[in-house]
Amino acid sequence: MAELSPEAARNRDLWTQTNAEYTHEQGRRAWAQEEISWGIWSLPEREVGALAGIELEGADVIELGCGTGYVSAWLARRGARPVGVDVTPAQLETARQLQLEHGLDFPLLEADAQAVPLPDASFDLVVSEYGASIWCDPYRWIPEAARLLRPGGRLVFLCNSTLVILCSDDEEPALERLVQTQFGMHRFEWPQGGVEYHISHGSWIALLREHGFEVEALHELQAPADASTHEHYGYVTADWGRRWPAEELWRARKR
Amino acid sequence: MSGLSDHARRNREFWDRRSDEYHERNAAFIAGGMAWGVWQIPEAELNVLGDVSGLDVLELGCGAAEWSRALLAAGARPVGLDNSAKRLEWARRANEEAGVGFPLLHASAEDVPLADGSFDLVMCDWGAMTFADPYLTVPEVARLLRPGGFAAWTGGTPWAWVTYDEGRDAHGTELLSDYFGLHRWDDAEGSVDFMLPYGEWIRLFRRSGLAVEDLIEVRPPEGARSTYRTAEDAAWARRWPLEQIWKVRKEARVSAGSEH
Repeated sequence: MAELSPEAARNRDLWTQTNAEYTHEQGRRAWAQEEISWGIWSLPEREVGALAGIELEGADVIELGCGTGYVSAWLARRGARPVGVDVTPAQLETARQLQLEHGLDFPLLEADAQAVPLPDASFDLVVSEYGASIWCDPYRWIPEAARLLRPGGRLVFLCNSTLVILCSDDEEPALERLVQTQFGMHRFEWPQGGVEYHISHGSWIALLREHGFEVEALHELQAPADASTHEHYGYVTADWGRRWPAEELWRARKR
Repeated sequence: MSGLSDHARRNREFWDRRSDEYHERNAAFIAGGMAWGVWQIPEAELNVLGDVSGLDVLELGCGAAEWSRALLAAGARPVGLDNSAKRLEWARRANEEAGVGFPLLHASAEDVPLADGSFDLVMCDWGAMTFADPYLTVPEVARLLRPGGFAAWTGGTPWAWVTYDEGRDAHGTELLSDYFGLHRWDDAEGSVDFMLPYGEWIRLFRRSGLAVEDLIEVRPPEGARSTYRTAEDAAWARRWPLEQIWKVRKEARVSAGSEH
């Protein structure tokens, strides 16, 4: 693997630790789940519809920042041929273990989503669920996603909402007031985190258009009435998430 | 018109009542046209419309038609629409003074009495896209555009809505109202304003056969002046977008699988 950027190396350290503390076990639960669900409120795909109308049977899928690989596993069970890409060996190790336990095999590739060692136009769907979508620089990974997709291919990614970032300071959870400036927002370093990237709606649209994508949908995820604050990701409370979007799912189609 | 919605009737009354006062306060500031929004950022800087010569253009909520006159001068064939007869009186007067003429239409943008596919461009600067229901205007815009034609309009932002402090008539940093369900605001002064969440705008565009081309989050220059907004608003808008410009294009044909 090519040498990692300092940001990717920091994020790998963070996720090595997080995998030991949380995602190793959480990945086990997610792999056991039959249904596709999205985000910290676990909203079922049948309600969100982020993948609606996308043919998964036989589709070549690449997951950028797959972690323990559960999204790829969900898609593989629906007939897709996923490739999971992640920069953190510990998470890929968990993913391999879970593949063996579930008898579900697909390629796992240790690589930076900003420079994927795979040929152009080899996928029908690029998916990123809190992977590259927040841990990589969008000005580097979106061009990679565009390169990897075939014409007509889809890009689906889940990230934090602009508003929750604007309301977040060094302490969790998010506040009910704007504390970060939106203009110029891009790279964030939280005290206990790695390096994250968050850009505004206008910036996402401009970037996607620039790389040949048509924006098909933006699903802003609302915490259901009975939701509780997430057991591990405490950056936002369920009360906050019922009134304002903490997370959003973008869907785009490569022309 | 018989089909005027309740909020369209209320906004017609509001704008008829406020027309002269509005003109008195803002007309000189916006007289030049070809500039967007409450800080009048020049089109030449934002480059939203590009070359308009030869285009059939509809302005939704034209008021005194400053934009339409400027578009005419740039070679377009404008039609100005407004829901307020009093606002259109100012447009007629200004056209006479300038010695120019183009159609001025008294109607709600929710129900435009013009044929399908009549325009290459539909534009609006804080007009009908704020004071009419987007669930009605966006399909109207799509209907009125020719395939390949485009629409662009300025309005407020969801952030401006959720931080609006009615008591102070100003925007603070506190989130005072919910984002989910954002749609309609009955202002204490009698108008009814509309706004949608980002995802809901996009859903509505796609459902109407409009491709999203751009979302310009407007940042006024330092010390920007306005007859519409206070210096406090301008300082706020240096940090977060208080107005935004959507640009959408009518698809040449509906692509298979784009609806879901």
